[in-house]
Amino acid sequence: MALFKINVNGSERSVEAVPDMPLLWVLRDLLDLTGSKYGCGIGACGACTVLLDGAEQQSCQVPISSIGKKKVTTIEGLSKDGKHPLQKAWIEHDVPQCGYCQAGQIMAAAALLHKNPHPTEADIEDVLGNHICRCGTYQRIRDAVKAVAGGAK
Amino acid sequence: MSNRKDVSRRSFIQIVGGAGASLVLGSFASLACADVDDKLKGKSASDKKGGVAFEPNALVRVDPDGKVTVTIVAPDAGQGSRTVLAMLVAEELDVDWHQVQVVQAQTNQTLYGYQGIGGSGTVKSQFPVLRKVGAATRMMLVAAAAKTWNVDAASLKTSKGHVHSADGKKSLSYGELTAVASTMPVPTTEIVLKKPEDFKIIGKATTRVDNPDVVTGKAMYGLDVKVPGMVYAVIARTPAFGATLKGFDDSEARKVPGVIDVVKVGSGVAVVGTNTWAAISGRKALKVDWDMGPNADLNSAKILEQLKGAVGPHKEMPEGGKVIEATFDFPYLSHATMEPMNAVADVHEDRCTIWTGSQQPTGALGQAAQMLGLKPEQITLNVMLLGGGFGRRLSNEYVADAVSVSKLVKKPVKVMWTREDDMKHDNYRTTCHAALKGAVDASGNPVGWSHQTITAEGGGRRGGGGGASAFGNTPDFHYNIPGKGQRQARVPTAVPTGAWRSVEHTIQSVANECFVDELAHAAGKDPFEFRRSLLVNDQASDGEKEILHRLKHVLETAADKAGWGTPLPAGHGRGIACFAGYGSFAAHVIELSVENNKIKLHRAVCVVDCGVAVNPKGVEAQMQGACTDGLATALRAAITIDKGGVVENSWPDFQWMTLDAMPKVEVHIIPSDNYPGGMGEPGYPSVPPAVANALFAATGKRVRKFPIRLEELV
Repeated sequence: MALFKINVNGSERSVEAVPDMPLLWVLRDLLDLTGSKYGCGIGACGACTVLLDGAEQQSCQVPISSIGKKKVTTIEGLSKDGKHPLQKAWIEHDVPQCGYCQAGQIMAAAALLHKNPHPTEADIEDVLGNHICRCGTYQRIRDAVKAVAGGAK
Repeated sequence: MSNRKDVSRRSFIQIVGGAGASLVLGSFASLACADVDDKLKGKSASDKKGGVAFEPNALVRVDPDGKVTVTIVAPDAGQGSRTVLAMLVAEELDVDWHQVQVVQAQTNQTLYGYQGIGGSGTVKSQFPVLRKVGAATRMMLVAAAAKTWNVDAASLKTSKGHVHSADGKKSLSYGELTAVASTMPVPTTEIVLKKPEDFKIIGKATTRVDNPDVVTGKAMYGLDVKVPGMVYAVIARTPAFGATLKGFDDSEARKVPGVIDVVKVGSGVAVVGTNTWAAISGRKALKVDWDMGPNADLNSAKILEQLKGAVGPHKEMPEGGKVIEATFDFPYLSHATMEPMNAVADVHEDRCTIWTGSQQPTGALGQAAQMLGLKPEQITLNVMLLGGGFGRRLSNEYVADAVSVSKLVKKPVKVMWTREDDMKHDNYRTTCHAALKGAVDASGNPVGWSHQTITAEGGGRRGGGGGASAFGNTPDFHYNIPGKGQRQARVPTAVPTGAWRSVEHTIQSVANECFVDELAHAAGKDPFEFRRSLLVNDQASDGEKEILHRLKHVLETAADKAGWGTPLPAGHGRGIACFAGYGSFAAHVIELSVENNKIKLHRAVCVVDCGVAVNPKGVEAQMQGACTDGLATALRAAITIDKGGVVENSWPDFQWMTLDAMPKVEVHIIPSDNYPGGMGEPGYPSVPPAVANALFAATGKRVRKFPIRLEELV
């Protein structure tokens, strides 16, 4: 066990964990940030996606020891008031069904739009094609992202 | 969660009485009015902000500030029950939708009757019940205003949570009426419901009540529950169905940091830790010795041979016709909900508290009570959001796991199934071999139809029966074909099976709709026109005529919307199929092409007639989801058995549809005043055959096996 200091959603947090504990379980079990979901533990579904210095990262695939000074943003920290344009679009387009994968979908979309504010259909597919929604909300995910992106080119 | 206290001592008056209503209430026995006596004695426990809340029954509460709280009895697995059921109450209560908030009911058979979701029944079963609950509550508020103003209640009107006088000059909000309404008698008869033309909420596209919590990470699923002192467990489970534990060596597992205990339970060996990662790591270090049991050599090929061996002689075809035959093989399917199975249990000598997402909370509670020798009232079962159901959470083994481990370690425990546990220990959609034979006469009219469905019925955790039926009627096959018959045979197999979205229709209807396409081809007819001509039957009963009429209409609408018969780019093909079931009707047209030896999906036209679409947004979502399931199982997903267990581990080898592979999905809802049908399942069965039929249109080759592999087309 070791003591790690990480920056999560703008706050410095101290956690005692084994160095190989994936960030996902640090967030969920040690910091009570359960918005990031466990879906496979092998980086295959995207339900655990967070931002690491603004870039998409599946939190089940990075051990706590590798975080260092990188800034972690989870769904809980995407906006102060739940009014990020993607969060608003997700509500308006009524994207969620069971909702379990949606935090990961939104975080991936946020990373995409941060890097590329006007993605093409292919850009959206490249990123969100790696995220599984078992309820099949893909049409609405696509519509919501495009609405925020101002319409894909 | 509901903050309802002990209600057993309270008196109950059934608000939705009458012989007719009680039939509807059969599965909802105690839709009762709580504590009316208490309220009459001024004992209302629900004082809030200085006023008296009006809580006329177990499901509705009106606060003095006008806020309406609807208690949702049905779990929400993503089908939107928390939204659509509240809409039914709000409509008849005549309040503004924005006044409404929902709370999830705890599990309480006395108060709510059976709690569970399945069979696409959420709206279908509750449509009259919850409207009456809303209407009766409204009547009490109107009676309160009538008493206050000393006028005849019949002269008053309501709108947006207010009662208005006949001349419109006086009005009182529901919030202002709570105290008086609490003293009004509960209506037992003549509960008048709105006419459809007066609906303001039913039929209006409504976004889900849980969206704001979902998009901010606040929504609470079973796996998100944490209670003080809770520990975490994963279980080393049998590698083969029917395998048994010989022994285990936990010396290394116990050295893993955070591991606090290793205990033997019914489903295997539980490794308990201070967090999930410790439990997972501890399980990796655990050495378990299994007796592989009687099924160690079982594999998919052997099961398929058994299925094929159970095919009997087909029905005889009339002489002189053109006869064709085909078989279709279907694999096992996992439910693979995004949230794997899990539960939290806190077991004490005299009580137990459980938090979980279950499709059958009533069953889960009963199971826990039986395991612990406790009475149902000693168990509290909190229903969390379900990260997917699709039939998987109809059985509650994961609740048993949590109860077992908590009892042994004497702490609250969260048991999580890893993705691999979930995929390898499901109750699978059964594997099936379907054999069909049909005949058309010289004019291209179908004159014979014989369908045999041979399924593997699971043993293991869920007992399965064997046996075969004689050729009988064809419950989900409505085409007017003389002498049509269907036979079902079940081969007992060790692989556990269970209900999977659309259940038997995932095989029977799929095979039917593939084969009717082949019969159309044999008849030299267009597959849409052929189907259409068979959905007319002057000799049918009135009920069957209505089915045929509505099925034909969705079929025609799908063809129309898809531009059936209009030219397509070279290499593209369209396939059509339809389905009637769960009180609803669906049809699909899929357009695809084969490029570089890969199937590319271009367009999915989905049409549904579900009667009144209470929440069109929800109906559309169910159609989109079912379409995705249909595409995934037509083209990608399969569970394979080898060495008595499941080969697949996780998403890389149980592949689901992904956004990049999806076609444009269009949903068309037929406007209707008919009684609402189910929506969870009807959107699935016509998707896989529409894919197979489109492939034939594009390539001239037929599908004989799902999931479809181009190299296996014939």
